[in-house]
Amino acid sequence: MENFHIDGSTYIPRIDFNAQTGVLELEGESYHEYTTEFFGPIFSWLEDYLEEAGKTITLNFKMSYFNTSSSRRFLEILTMLEDYQNDKGGNVTVNWYYEENDVDMLESGEEYSDDVELPFNLLPY
Amino acid sequence: MAYIEHFSVKTFKQQLSERKISLAFQGIFSQDVLALIGKSLRNTPESRVIAKRLFAIVIEMAQNIHHYSAEKQYSEKDGRDIGVGIVAIAEDEDHYIITSGNCIIKTEVPPLIERANYINGLDADELKKFYREQRKMPQREGKPGANLGFIDMVRKSGNPIEINIKDYDETRSFFILSVKVNKEL
Repeated sequence: MENFHIDGSTYIPRIDFNAQTGVLELEGESYHEYTTEFFGPIFSWLEDYLEEAGKTITLNFKMSYFNTSSSRRFLEILTMLEDYQNDKGGNVTVNWYYEENDVDMLESGEEYSDDVELPFNLLPY
Repeated sequence: MAYIEHFSVKTFKQQLSERKISLAFQGIFSQDVLALIGKSLRNTPESRVIAKRLFAIVIEMAQNIHHYSAEKQYSEKDGRDIGVGIVAIAEDEDHYIITSGNCIIKTEVPPLIERANYINGLDADELKKFYREQRKMPQREGKPGANLGFIDMVRKSGNPIEINIKDYDETRSFFILSVKVNKEL
């Protein structure tokens, strides 16, 4: 399966999903006006990738800012991974990086970790 | 030309500086405009967390205008109609005050006020709960927004949102939204 990559820009995150290593990275800022359009291909790729059972997946989430519309899309990604872990014997870890002292980004990570049943590491950088 | 006599750049500048208005944008809220506003804002206040909160609130307001303003203009670059409005940031001794203004259809006013009042009445824990509940709800049909903007503004600012409605024309009202952000964390 092909890897998935998007170079980040001012309002879209850098996305690097590696099908071989199972390391999925999202980094930067996300405030595209039309997040359903922007995230569409990302969801399609993930759906294909999660077809096969039993993979070990690490989601590295290193965002410095995202808008409320992106926060919905991120919950959808996390929910897909949660379903994968529960239904398809997946082994998923989420690394949530936040800038040291960024209390808001830390709180966001805590809230997502309450919303989905996945191992969450909250990691200051 | 008459308009030059009536419009004084000097007076305008004076008004802006008297009210400590550090940023004001009027026009089409395209993606590029958002990015520029973002850039200019991010490093303004000394605290990075506060800078990010201002940025977050401005983005939510700007995206409300982009999607929902009842006055739209076609953007060649974006290939679609985009909302028109105003966003400004002013400050007093203890706060930054972020204000947006745009037209909305009159019938949309009561539900917006109702929602704002409801959100303003919640404490921090209730806001958090409500945010998470709403985020789990399916995307609203035909609405590109997340329906989380007001909640996020109140959470990020720690203050209620204020709404003012002015008459605009027969079918539309002018919707003014203000949020104060404390300068100290």
